[in-house]
Amino acid sequence: MTDKNWVKIEFASDTKNVAFARTALALFASQLDWTLDEIEDIKVAVSEAVSNSVIHGYELQEGVIKLEASYEEDILTISIEDFGKGITDIAQAKETGYSSIPEERMGLGFTFMHEYMDEVVVLSEIQKGTKVTMNKKVQAQEGS
Amino acid sequence: MQFSLKVVDKTLVATLEGELDLHKSPEFKEEITMLFNQHPEIRYLIMDVERMTFIDSSGLGVILGRFKELQTRGGKLYFVNANPRIRRILQLSGFERISSFKKSTDEVLSQVRGAK
Repeated sequence: MTDKNWVKIEFASDTKNVAFARTALALFASQLDWTLDEIEDIKVAVSEAVSNSVIHGYELQEGVIKLEASYEEDILTISIEDFGKGITDIAQAKETGYSSIPEERMGLGFTFMHEYMDEVVVLSEIQKGTKVTMNKKVQAQEGS
Repeated sequence: MQFSLKVVDKTLVATLEGELDLHKSPEFKEEITMLFNQHPEIRYLIMDVERMTFIDSSGLGVILGRFKELQTRGGKLYFVNANPRIRRILQLSGFERISSFKKSTDEVLSQVRGAK
């Protein structure tokens, strides 16, 4: 039987829920055989994606964020979706150092997501929302 | 996330514990900015991150903002006690190029006193 599992969580776009999201996701992800560093990498990626939804998607206003995660065998897939204002220029948003709020953010959100996950796909539509889907494959551990 | 801020001569020592993310960053920014404004003599910022367990771009953005302020004052940014995980994200975000990594707060304080 294929080893697989999934979770779906919806939560308010409250800054307090950034920590909730990354911690919940780390607990789910820990069902797979990651190193501690890899779990931290996944937490950073989730934190960045959820922070983007809170700050840019909803501009710190009320909204719903949907987090879905699943794995099949050794590949973890995470998606974070908001129904906010959307991204005008995805390529520009992904540029290292670009931020629409440069005083507050380093413009490293997508850089971290790309660095820490194997693949990052961003779909966005103006005034409809943004969905970030990321996946990461478990690397064979030494001695396993 | 908890933090303490202490001014020692021309140095602001920030000791952080826990997770610095979007939720806690505004409070940290407000407190640290207030001290910068109250103490125009501050030239050096020591970030003691020994007990910091997590940071993302929201937290890093606050530190970068203070670095820019230090630059206008001719000062310097230091990280002390960075564990490998925290050091890795600091490296990735370019902080190794604009700051120094040291083993202890006392080491930096001795160094900046000698620089007077």
